[in-house]
Amino acid sequence: MEKALNCKGLACPAPVLKTKETIEQEHPDTISVIVDSEASKQNVTRFLESQNFRTTVTTKDGDFHIIGTKEAGAKPPETAPEEKPETEEKKIMVMIATDRMGYGDDELGKKLIASFVTTLKEMGEELWRLVFVNNGVKLTIQGSEVLDVLKEYEKSGLKILVCGTCLTYFNLLDKKLVGETTNMLDIVTAMQLADKVINI
Amino acid sequence: MGLERADDAGVYKISDDLAIIQTVDFFTPIVDDPYWFGQIAAANALSDIYAMGGTPKTAMNLVAFPISEMDISVLRQILQGGLDKMREADVVLVGGHSVEDSELKYGLAATGFIHPERVLMKGNLKLGDRLILTKPLGTGIINTAIKGGLASAEITERVTRLMATLNRDAAEVMQAFPVHACTDITGFGLLGHLAEMTVDSGLGVRLLSRDVPILPETLNYASMGLLPAGAYKNREFRECMVDFSPSVDHLVQDALFDPQTSGGLLICIAPDRADALLEALEKKGIKQAAIIGDVVPEPRERIVVE
Repeated sequence: MEKALNCKGLACPAPVLKTKETIEQEHPDTISVIVDSEASKQNVTRFLESQNFRTTVTTKDGDFHIIGTKEAGAKPPETAPEEKPETEEKKIMVMIATDRMGYGDDELGKKLIASFVTTLKEMGEELWRLVFVNNGVKLTIQGSEVLDVLKEYEKSGLKILVCGTCLTYFNLLDKKLVGETTNMLDIVTAMQLADKVINI
Repeated sequence: MGLERADDAGVYKISDDLAIIQTVDFFTPIVDDPYWFGQIAAANALSDIYAMGGTPKTAMNLVAFPISEMDISVLRQILQGGLDKMREADVVLVGGHSVEDSELKYGLAATGFIHPERVLMKGNLKLGDRLILTKPLGTGIINTAIKGGLASAEITERVTRLMATLNRDAAEVMQAFPVHACTDITGFGLLGHLAEMTVDSGLGVRLLSRDVPILPETLNYASMGLLPAGAYKNREFRECMVDFSPSVDHLVQDALFDPQTSGGLLICIAPDRADALLEALEKKGIKQAAIIGDVVPEPRERIVVE
């Protein structure tokens, strides 16, 4: 299926959004987009490549004609490491609602949770989201034993979400040193997208 | 101060111990919430005064408003946001002017005080100086994603708060240190403003891209083609002064050219005081501040990005 879009006169990011909408709704194999600015040309080209289209650009009367052709079974482009398409790899979300693991001895529980968080990396690439709620948010603040480990995870690209309501409740908003403050909607969305949710 | 060299604001000496700094800045809405837009526009307009080492004192509102199409309550909320930000900065609102326009715009004309001998210029780099950036980059790219409805709620909120954060705390901390030069990062992006500092300095700059703080999601959105047109213009204009080492990811380069709204201060300080300044900034709550590069003898008046 082929699709043609005229995005002349539109300012960024409108051409990208129109292209995105068309691809999502109509799933064309080939799409041609006409734009009239250098920035739009580069943005649309980038977007198409992030969606696994092979692109060619021709200039005609000062306009840019971008042709994108869907690559069958294409690999994700190297320029967009975050834009991995859905692969076989599982997405595991780990939700931590406590600052100690299990019941019984609290001291032991604290040691165990620290060890648990440190060992999580063994899940490798499948570890997709780490979410802290309730008492769990205390692992992300100043003085937490696993702060450095979490910072390391975040640096390596793991998305860490920390419940904003919980931080506010404990009056710890300023003390949080790692992860993104989040809301329940984002947590629920993450659960829905995850292949597996592990609750601690 | 003359106009031969680009600087953040105009300085006029009144007496031996007093000069005034004047600056003006206004723009179209970048976030949906009018109250936050007001705050951001005010924080952005006052930033130039902080960047020159001064203290903002008075300001006047500049308003363009489509009164026939938009409810007046929107304007009220914008002005309230601006006023609250001015109060936070201990700035007195002394007046303003509004015109009818098809496109909404808001900003301030602001005046600040400074001692004439303490004016911080952009171009006073010294060999060996370290460069400190006080806010993470990526607001232009993320604002483009917000416009496109593609940004998550969490990153939208984070970037909104970041843009509304005054550079006052950073400027106050900086006052206690022998800083050589300073500017604030706005529309030209980090590399554009760094290029202004480097031109005519006789020295070069080495930027360590890995150490530059970048907002989460920025590179992701950049890879999807959500770059503002300004990012391409900035690159086109200054690319000739910049040498990228091959290891620097193209998306990171985009972030370095990304036009910022109400961006952080870029501070230039002697190497033996840089760590102490960074520590003082962190203590004041400016946790994302980082040393991002240094001033080198060669290549002269060029920026090497590693």
